[in-house]
Amino acid sequence: MAITATSTVAMVREKFPQAVLETVDFRGEQTIVLLPGHLVTVCAYLQKNLRYNFLATVTAVDWLERVPRYDVVYHLLSIPNQSELRLKVRAGERGEEHPSVPTVTGIWPGANWYEREVYDLFGITFAGHPDLRRILMPMDWTTYPLRKDYPLAGFDLPEPHWGGQVPYDIDPGVGSQTLRTPYSRELNESRSKINPNQEPGTEK
Amino acid sequence: MQRQDIETQYAIEDSQSLEDGQRIDTMTINMGPQHPSTHGVLRLILTIEGETVVKAVPDIGFLHTGIEKTAEAKTYHQALVLTDRMDYLAPLNNNLGYSLAVEKLLGIEDEINDKIKYVRVLLAELQRIASHLVWLGTHALDLGAMSVFLYCFREREMILDIFEEISGVRMMTSYICPGGLQADLTPTFDDTVRAFTSIFPDRLQEYHDLLTNNQLWTERTRGVAILSAEDAIAYGASGPVLRGSNVVWDIRKAFPYSGYEKFEFDIPVGTNGDVYDRYLVRMLEMGQSLNIVNQALEGMPAGAHRVSNPKIAPPPRWQITGSMEALIHHFKLYTEGYRPPKGEVYVRTESPKGELGFYIVSDGSAKPYRMHVRGASFANLEVLPLMVEGLFLSDVVAAIGSIDIVLGEVDR
Repeated sequence: MAITATSTVAMVREKFPQAVLETVDFRGEQTIVLLPGHLVTVCAYLQKNLRYNFLATVTAVDWLERVPRYDVVYHLLSIPNQSELRLKVRAGERGEEHPSVPTVTGIWPGANWYEREVYDLFGITFAGHPDLRRILMPMDWTTYPLRKDYPLAGFDLPEPHWGGQVPYDIDPGVGSQTLRTPYSRELNESRSKINPNQEPGTEK
Repeated sequence: MQRQDIETQYAIEDSQSLEDGQRIDTMTINMGPQHPSTHGVLRLILTIEGETVVKAVPDIGFLHTGIEKTAEAKTYHQALVLTDRMDYLAPLNNNLGYSLAVEKLLGIEDEINDKIKYVRVLLAELQRIASHLVWLGTHALDLGAMSVFLYCFREREMILDIFEEISGVRMMTSYICPGGLQADLTPTFDDTVRAFTSIFPDRLQEYHDLLTNNQLWTERTRGVAILSAEDAIAYGASGPVLRGSNVVWDIRKAFPYSGYEKFEFDIPVGTNGDVYDRYLVRMLEMGQSLNIVNQALEGMPAGAHRVSNPKIAPPPRWQITGSMEALIHHFKLYTEGYRPPKGEVYVRTESPKGELGFYIVSDGSAKPYRMHVRGASFANLEVLPLMVEGLFLSDVVAAIGSIDIVLGEVDR
């Protein structure tokens, strides 16, 4: 019997009834939402028995208001069966700074960099990961940019980061105080004082 | 953790002691981020023992531009231009993947007519040739063959001229957009493409004559940086890197999108998974792409260049000046955009570098709640340490060239 995404969902439901939280079918794409505790078992089963040998990507989605706050999303592909599947686990209790999800690097070694990316941008840790450190952001960065409560323009940095004067022991995101220099603050204020009705090319 | 600690942690300790009291001196060196053969700003921390690489640790992120974060603040139509800037050697392939994902999210795949599909395939394949030409030129340049670079850029200019003719822009075209194409084809488009397709077979033969059986080339590339099929699959390598390792896998065949099922083409694969095989796979792919371009030109159907749904594609210019509804639609589309239903899609396409996946989550608003891009180069770069450990230092250059990374896509 050819294995398709739909039959995979049925087989996982049958084999691991306690692991499956829900399944979703949207636009023909099958999603299985798993409990984090069963993730590795189900993944090992999918990889060995159903030949989902290719892990396309691992990523996360931040649902700021929801508890658990994050979805960690895995996109699997079976090259022999030409079948694709999405797995999800939910993590992050209220106020939890670093939610933890078991790693799947033991099953697909390629997950290594993707899990590092999720850790780097969301702050989700992967228990058992061999080399969990930042990958895209600088090593000494302290915040997690893809979280929804991270402002789009970033936090005010005390100095231009290439100036070498940044006190990295201070988290730029802490508190409401801005650490901008007086000069740049003045520059910003003078910009806002520009008269919008002024004709171009004339004095004020 | 301080940067110095991290570096010492990942470097093998210099001067290891052997049992009989001899010492082997290893040295940790930086390759990049400002090294011409790293094709951008890739930094490799190499531990070498004499000329041999013992350990290689890629350090990426120097070109991180936060495109995924920026996209969350843009409407679906605005986020399109961000996709151009990821794999900047193949912007049209990125546009195509993004557009397909948004169309799937909107559920308007059936409204896309054959004309749009054919033009998309034609442009995607021209872009594949252009991307492979840059790869071939720079790869050969890295290995000391200067003249190939000049020839490749000569042909790439012709392709960029085609893009300029239809979109007004040479590189960051944003020409393929959700709902169709930004503009209709120009009347002379057909002739311009034919001018390219008529000369390109000879030019492709020229590259083969220069390199394929050239002993200097084969000595540098055969048996170098071998990647086994098992490793390639396990590490998520895709595209020519995967096919070079003798895995017959092409998303255009496995999950045909945008009408690829109507075109006849072969999937070239390598046998050993070395640099030469990956080189040959890409060279043969250029021929196959040319084949597809010719088929698309011959079978190009007539039709509109956008869907007629005014909620998604703007109405034509002549309607805006005459019709109140058209003006309102135009205004609403560019101020608010469209609102796909709640849901999520993942669309994978075969870009020149490999599997390009767009994962878009919609919360029902006019902006993507989350856009994740599975860049092909990201996973392909992950296998680099597997390839280069145990090789000579100069072969690292050949290995980097053969996986064809674009750091804009790796770091996003």
